[in-house]
Amino acid sequence: MTKYTIAALGFAVALASFGCAVQQPTLPPEIAQTPARPLPFKGRLFDGDPQELPPAVAMSLSNDSPVIFSYREELTHDESHTPLWISAFDPATYAGTATGEYGVTAFASLSISEGDTVLADYTAKERVAMPYSMFKEPTHKELDRAARDAVRPKIDQKLYGDADRLAQTIASSAPTSIK
Amino acid sequence: MNHRFATIPILAALLLAPIFAIGCAVQGRPFEKASSPPGNAVIYVYRPYNYASSLLKPAVTCGGESASIGPGGYHAFVVPAKHTVECTVETETADQVEIHAEPRTYYIKEDFGWGVLRGHPHLNPIDADQAQTEIQSCCVLEN
Repeated sequence: MTKYTIAALGFAVALASFGCAVQQPTLPPEIAQTPARPLPFKGRLFDGDPQELPPAVAMSLSNDSPVIFSYREELTHDESHTPLWISAFDPATYAGTATGEYGVTAFASLSISEGDTVLADYTAKERVAMPYSMFKEPTHKELDRAARDAVRPKIDQKLYGDADRLAQTIASSAPTSIK
Repeated sequence: MNHRFATIPILAALLLAPIFAIGCAVQGRPFEKASSPPGNAVIYVYRPYNYASSLLKPAVTCGGESASIGPGGYHAFVVPAKHTVECTVETETADQVEIHAEPRTYYIKEDFGWGVLRGHPHLNPIDADQAQTEIQSCCVLEN
């Protein structure tokens, strides 16, 4: 009878812990579902990797524009762990439940200038966390990518909200720069 | 009588443990800066000594080069700048770090977490000021 009870308990623990398997993070729906579109003006990249930009900026690059984009991202890593003296004696640990998480906070800044005038300056911050278990862990690359992918749409959203003002400012100062 | 037989293996284990522990540490030259041609990046991967997982020595690959780094050791990978370089290590699980290499120095610390049968390797990018202190005090270039 005792054997059946232990077996049933083990089965229940295994079932419960499957729900705690490591999951990929998902972006908030309002960010993930907004399609990227080019800005109403073009700019050239002064600082940053052309392959690692917010989509709206990447779609609006032009080498001969007087408008300058300067984009930077900084990643900060953090982690939290269930104390070993707890997780080591928890049967759920051995069934694959999460025993901690790795997090990355991405801080992005975009500066738009023309000549010596700074036209706009945007910053955004987004944190992404992924749990790990005894059987599966996210890689740094996955975490970094997820954090970058999460912060870039936030810069885009701020940029879209300010795009008309920027376009007017640029048009009034140098009408030929509008593409 | 039984008590005496139980004591002998414990004493033997206690005497042998330090020998195994010492044997696991990497022997070699103290840290020295790697020279690299202009237009290259240097990635130092270092592994401070830790008794746990000290028998593990998985290959770390950065760019096209691989090196097995023991506990208390480091390796300098010289890679071309202006490229994206991936550093990977794998046992039961894998870790992977992506570096957009500029002509400068990068530091990655390798450590191990708990695993089922073997420790899980981690590659952690470390700030230069912290890493320079750690690598000089902890790690040697393996012979």
